[in-house]
Amino acid sequence: MDLRVPSGWFFSLLGVILLGMGLFAPENRAELTDVNVNLYSGAAMLVFGLFLLLMAWRATRPKA
Amino acid sequence: MKLALVDYLILALYFIFVLGIGWRLKKSITTSGDFLLSGRSLPVWITSLAFIAANLGAQELVGMSASGAKYGIMTAHFYWIGAIPAILFMGLFMMPFYYGSKARSVPEYLKMRYDEKTRGYNAVTFAVMTIFSSGISMYALGLLLHLVLGWDFSTSVWCSAVIVLAYTFLGGLTSAIYNEVLQFLLIVAGFTPLAMLSVLKAGGWSGVTARFHQMVLPGGMPGDVMTHAWGYMGKPSDNPMGVELFGMVAGLGFVLSFGYWCTNFLVVQRAMAARSMSAARRTPLIGAFPKMFIPFIIIMPGIAAVALSKMGVGYDLPLMKDGSTDYNQVITTLMAKFYPAGMLGVGLTGLMASFMSGMAGNVTAFNTVWTYDIYQSYIRKNAPDSHYLTVGRVTTVVGILLSIGAAYVARRYNNIMDLLQLVFGFVNAPLFATFLMGMFWKRSTGRGAFSGLISGTVAATITWGTTVAEGKGGIFGVVHTFPSIMAQNFWIAIMAFSTCLLVTLVVSMTSQPKPEAELEGLVYGLTKIPHDPNAKWHEQPVTLAVLVAIVLIIINIWFA
Repeated sequence: MDLRVPSGWFFSLLGVILLGMGLFAPENRAELTDVNVNLYSGAAMLVFGLFLLLMAWRATRPKA
Repeated sequence: MKLALVDYLILALYFIFVLGIGWRLKKSITTSGDFLLSGRSLPVWITSLAFIAANLGAQELVGMSASGAKYGIMTAHFYWIGAIPAILFMGLFMMPFYYGSKARSVPEYLKMRYDEKTRGYNAVTFAVMTIFSSGISMYALGLLLHLVLGWDFSTSVWCSAVIVLAYTFLGGLTSAIYNEVLQFLLIVAGFTPLAMLSVLKAGGWSGVTARFHQMVLPGGMPGDVMTHAWGYMGKPSDNPMGVELFGMVAGLGFVLSFGYWCTNFLVVQRAMAARSMSAARRTPLIGAFPKMFIPFIIIMPGIAAVALSKMGVGYDLPLMKDGSTDYNQVITTLMAKFYPAGMLGVGLTGLMASFMSGMAGNVTAFNTVWTYDIYQSYIRKNAPDSHYLTVGRVTTVVGILLSIGAAYVARRYNNIMDLLQLVFGFVNAPLFATFLMGMFWKRSTGRGAFSGLISGTVAATITWGTTVAEGKGGIFGVVHTFPSIMAQNFWIAIMAFSTCLLVTLVVSMTSQPKPEAELEGLVYGLTKIPHDPNAKWHEQPVTLAVLVAIVLIIINIWFA
C-alpha cells in the first residue's frame, strides 16, 4: 500500500470540511482571531492532500 | 472548552482512517518478521517521519509548550542540543553496526557484541520501562481530556487503547509506523496555525521579544531570558532553567540525548525497518530536518502565551486550584481562544494522534523485545516462526492491558511513578557508554560491559543520594547543592556515563576479549561501512548530515 493514498484522502477530506466551514459559516470565529482560520487552514490542507494524491498517482503510472 | 458536531466528525474521520490503514495492512503480514520488524522493507521518507513521531507523544507536546511558557526559547535546546547532534551521530556512525549486524533489536545487538547477561539486563529493563512510559502517557492524556473537555478518565483511556490495539494487532509494526506518519502530519497541521496565530497576535516574534525586553520575570530575572537561547547560560543563576553551559552541553546534549536517540529501541526500531542500509542511515538524518523545526510549532505558542497574558487582549495563563500557573494547560487554553469549531477539532485530533503515536511506539518496541529477546531466548527457543507470530500478536494485547494498568497505578499513586522514572533514569544513564565502547573499541568485553552498566547505575544513585536540588534529595548526606533539579539530572547522567566508561575500560582490560572473527559487522574497524560514490547528493548520509548541521547553526545564531 502506498501511504500517500490514505494520507492524501484524509487531508483532502479534512480540507473540504474546513473549507466548507470557512465559506458557509464565516461568522464562526474564535475569541481572539480576526481572520477566517477555517478557510485558510482548510485550503492549505486540501492543497496538501491533493499534492499527496498526485504524487501517488504519478508513481503508479507506467514509466514511458 | 466545548466541542461542536464538526469537531467530533473530524475526530471520527481520523479514527476511521487509522483503523482502515491497519485493516488494509493485515494481509501483508505472514511472518513474525513482517509483524515485528516490518520485513525491513519501508521507504525512507516513511521511516524518517515515524522516527520523529514515535518520540513525539502527547506528554512531549504538552510538556514542551509548558516549558516554553516557563523557560522560554531555552526549551528548544531539548531539540537543538538535546536531539540533533545525537541523531546525526546515530545515522552516520551507529546505524552501520545496528543494521549491518542483522540484529532484530537493540538488546539483540548487545548479545551479539557482548554476551547473554548484558542482553538480558537490557531487554528486561527496557520492557518494563516501555510499559510504564506508555502507561504514564496514557494517564497524562486521560487527565488532560478530563480537565479540558470533561471526558471521563476511564472512557478516554480505554477508547484510545482499543484503537491503538486494533491497528497494531492487525498490521503490526508497519501499521504502527504508517499511522505514526499520518499522526505526525496531523500534529503539524493541527499545531502550526496555533503557533502562527498566537505569535502574530503578540506582535510577531519581534513584538514578543520587545515585550519581554521590558518585563521582569517573577523571580527577578530580566524578561530577555525568555527569548534568548544561549545568551544567559554563563551561570545557572542567570537563567530560569538553573543550568550552566557545561551541564547543558555535556549532560543534556551529550550523555542524555545520545543515550536516548542512539540506544533506545523505540526510535532505533524505526530506522531498522528501512529497506536498505543506506535508507537506514538516512532515516535519522532526514528525520532531523523536521525535528529542528518542531520547537517553532510547540514551544513558540508557550512563549507567546506569556506575552499575550501581559497584553490585556483577553488571554490569561491557566491557573491551578491553589492559584499557581498551570503550565500544562497552556496549549489547550490557547486552542480554545484561537481555534473556531472545525479547526479546534483538528487541533484536538492532533493531540490525540500524538498520544496514540507515542503509545503505539512503546507497544511495538515492547512486542519485539518481549518476543525475540525474552520469549525466544529464555522461554521457548526453536519454535516454528508461526508460533512467534502468534506470540507477537498476543503480546500486543498483553502489552496494552499492562499499560492501562500502569495508567491506573499512575493515577492512584503519583509518588510511585516519580520514583520509577527516577530509577529508569539511573538504569538508562550509563547505557550510551556501553554502546560507544562496544561499537568503537573491539577490545571491550561482555564482562566489562556488564560491570560498567551496573556501576554506572550505582554511580547515578549515589550522585542523586548525596546531592540536593530545590530542597529535595540528599538521603545519604549532602555533598553538593544544585541550583535546579534539571541541573542535578544532567550531572547524574554525566557521573553515570563516566563511571560506566571507566569501569568498562578497566574490567575489559583484565578479561578475555571475543575473537575478531566473531566481531565482524559489529565493531568499528571490522565492519565495512558502505560508501556509494555514485549516489545522488540527497542519498549520501554525510551530505545530509552537513546540511542539517548548517541549518542547525543558523537557527541557533538567530535565536542566540
